[in-house]
Amino acid sequence: MIEVSDLRYRYGDVDVLDGVTLSIPDGQYCLLVGPNGSGKTTLVRHLNALLTPDAGTVTVDGTDVTDDPVVARTRIGMVFQHPRDQFVAATVAADVAFGPENLGLDRAEIDRRVDTALDAVDLGDAAESRIDALSGGEQARVAIAGALAMEPDYLVLDEPLVGLDWPARQSVLDHLDALAADGTGVIVVTHDLRDLHERADRLVALHEGQVVLDVPPAEALDTLPDLGIRDPRC
Amino acid sequence: MLSYRPGSTVAHRLDPRSKLLFQFGLAIAAVAHPTLPWLVGTTAFALCALAAARLSPLAVLRSYRIVLAVLALAPFVAGVALGPPWFRVDPALRSALHVGRILPVLLVSAAYLTSTPVRDTRAAVQRLIPGKPGQILGIGMALVVRLFPLVLADVREVRDAIHARGGEARPLWDRARLLAVRSLERTLDRSDRLSVALRARCFAWNPTLPPLAFDRRDYPVLAVGIALAVSPLVSV
Amino acid sequence: MATEQSVDLVDDETVGLFTKAVLLAALTAALAQISIPLPGTLPPFSLQPFGMFFAGLLLGPLWGGVALLLYVLVGIAGAPVFSNGAAGIGYVIAGKGTGGFLVGFLVGAVVAGAIAHRSIAPKPVADLSVPVQVVALVAAVAIVYAIGIPWLAVVTGLPFARAAATMAPFIPFDLLKLGIAIAIVQGGYLAGR
Repeated sequence: MIEVSDLRYRYGDVDVLDGVTLSIPDGQYCLLVGPNGSGKTTLVRHLNALLTPDAGTVTVDGTDVTDDPVVARTRIGMVFQHPRDQFVAATVAADVAFGPENLGLDRAEIDRRVDTALDAVDLGDAAESRIDALSGGEQARVAIAGALAMEPDYLVLDEPLVGLDWPARQSVLDHLDALAADGTGVIVVTHDLRDLHERADRLVALHEGQVVLDVPPAEALDTLPDLGIRDPRC
Repeated sequence: MLSYRPGSTVAHRLDPRSKLLFQFGLAIAAVAHPTLPWLVGTTAFALCALAAARLSPLAVLRSYRIVLAVLALAPFVAGVALGPPWFRVDPALRSALHVGRILPVLLVSAAYLTSTPVRDTRAAVQRLIPGKPGQILGIGMALVVRLFPLVLADVREVRDAIHARGGEARPLWDRARLLAVRSLERTLDRSDRLSVALRARCFAWNPTLPPLAFDRRDYPVLAVGIALAVSPLVSV
Repeated sequence: MATEQSVDLVDDETVGLFTKAVLLAALTAALAQISIPLPGTLPPFSLQPFGMFFAGLLLGPLWGGVALLLYVLVGIAGAPVFSNGAAGIGYVIAGKGTGGFLVGFLVGAVVAGAIAHRSIAPKPVADLSVPVQVVALVAAVAIVYAIGIPWLAVVTGLPFARAAATMAPFIPFDLLKLGIAIAIVQGGYLAGR
């Protein structure tokens, strides 16, 4: 269970997060939506202590994430918008191994995790491929594998579908469905709900740093245009 | 240009740490004394390195032809005099011996480059340098190798964008300024994103080190490398 | 979970300096491949010194030095990062007699960083006065030649004066680049970096 309590964060003169309270149970598939500047990215970067709040707390199963960022970052895996800028190695397996290496695991366990994570995104055959030679969709899946190798309970994806063509989008979404079915909590940050609204359990909308909507996605569709988000059915 | 080629030669199967030590040892020995016997000796060692990597000396010299052509100018520049006899042989020979010392260094460097993938050198650095400096330099090397093609593409894109908008008409200093500043901005944006990604993946001072192991065949190479490195001290 | 208790995370500030050093090393490598052609018989206008200038000014002596050290190390390891895609220890020692300039860039970044920031930890660039920046970069250029010219003389066996004479035509261009670097900082493009 991730619990966010009255979270506040200022940047310059702007209240980017203005008292956000939210709890996300294990295994939930949750969409975090809102227009640009609504505080979505800032919020998820607090979940694994990449940002420190001005006030309020984030806990994972009762542990404050700022007290133990290692636990927060292993329990909550994060995939960022620009996959090309988050790879640390030139080849696939070497990149996926980076997280487990930082945890100081022994080599056999690292190899096992890399194999498992690559299998989960159907890239088992690409272990020795050069990342720059892969398509955009495959790169997004390598980034997901890099997060999965930490064996997280939750996977947070910040705009994972931007710039992907339709088949690549479907492939990434299908893999997320499979992970969610296996019990991994999935949190997708997006301003574009196409193909996503019918997959998720829950939709949380942010506006000017506050939660303005927290309902099953089907119930949110009619109000979305008021929040500056396109109705995915159109 | 010379670059790594997969293979199974003796040089490929050596531990990168012994190859690095041999390479540095030979480089130190080669530049120590600009004398003919010394040059012949160090070149012999360099040819052994080429043989271990199954490289043809002629092919290697061909790939260094531009460097060699520029270096070959040095004896002429050294010999030219501003009055009779216009060309003096002694300084030209002296210069030729100096330039000749570089040859074994270039050869051994070619053997190393073609038989050692960059990630092996990175692993060697991370294991040879203890503690935080080793971690910073080891991971740093991997990241630079990973990011260099992206940054190079950025810089070329910036240059093309400046051209596309008639930038050639601007004065040189202004073109250089625009190119430098736009490239730098993109580079620093990448740095911000990379730093968040590293932190999310628990970037730590004490990770599992890349696997490397010495084999029996490494020890003689290490011994020769050390002997070469100290040879200038004992042979004066 | 026992192993995870002992994970010694790199602190946030160090990660930020480290990634800047990494990216400036990559930028130095990229700029070494790019030059602006000049008319006539003039040598092409290389952008490589900007790597050293920005490393010193933005990162200070320690991390500026790390940036250029990483650049030299990946080149030795075989990445094609030196001018015209060259690599290897042979190029660092000799090149076209110009290996000393690579080492000069490394020492120059450290010296520029030390003069500009006068501490290991870098200050914001906006806090550096113009005279301090000028002194820092002039010292860096001087170091590059102070190492590069004797190195050229030793590698080629040329007398020092002749080695100096072959390199002298490049000095005005480097001073122009220095001016451009300071103009970039004064233009406020790096505020908050």
